[in-house]
Amino acid sequence: MVADSSSLILLAKCSLLEIVCDLFDVIVPKSVNIEVASEDLVKNYPDAALISDLTSKGAINVQSPGSNKLTLPISLHKGEEDALLLAIKLGRSLFVTDDGKAIKAARFFKVPFIITPKIIVELFRTQKISFKKTRESLEKLGKIGRYSSEIIADALVSLMEEKNDKTNNNKDTRRPFK
Amino acid sequence: MTKPTTIRIPEDLLNEIERFVQESNLDRSTYLREVLRKGFSLDKQDRLLLKYVRKELSQMEVCKELKWNPWEFLSQLKTRNMFLNVELEDWLDASELPS
Repeated sequence: MVADSSSLILLAKCSLLEIVCDLFDVIVPKSVNIEVASEDLVKNYPDAALISDLTSKGAINVQSPGSNKLTLPISLHKGEEDALLLAIKLGRSLFVTDDGKAIKAARFFKVPFIITPKIIVELFRTQKISFKKTRESLEKLGKIGRYSSEIIADALVSLMEEKNDKTNNNKDTRRPFK
Repeated sequence: MTKPTTIRIPEDLLNEIERFVQESNLDRSTYLREVLRKGFSLDKQDRLLLKYVRKELSQMEVCKELKWNPWEFLSQLKTRNMFLNVELEDWLDASELPS
């Protein structure tokens, strides 16, 4: 998956960036790395220090999008554009972004995208994080991450549905044959 | 360096400014320059954030224009009780994680 600045920061804020880096190949273009982990930012923001640390350990892979330029129907900032270009270059890899305009551009190029609340619910669905951690992370996204209450509410409904499915499946497996 | 410019403003506003400047012992030109600078900065922020909400600008485009970093951007959204420009449709259309 190829991430832009907006998602790296939100995943770090929810304390999920390390887990995501452990489970998936997280790739960012150099421009995104500069946007979120420059020397000055690392000194002032713990999230930036974490991103920088993960990058130096190789858990976040910094790659060049190449010299090709996208002919976009809308403008994007360099980091967002490079991340989208990299996702296309890597065979329409999953584009991780929490920016509405970048999502518009991803739709135009038919690049699959994912947003942070979806990643969180998916981590629970695939049993990578607990129900408590999922719920706390979604609530953080609303408060600190400035996600709309409409999306957070829908994500919490999805979470409850996943939880109920898991409970029902467990009950089914325990039911004796008649 | 400063340059002169001319604007027409309503008489009642001008009178109010004159009165305030005299009462506060301020230099009129210095005060007006300061007010213009502050007002311009706030108005620019408001207008660019409105463009962000309408998805005419991305988060990092706004950051570049206003010389903010992404953390300041989130903090400014919070101060103004604003939200990310991601919509319910984006949440519903988002892909699943690769297995």
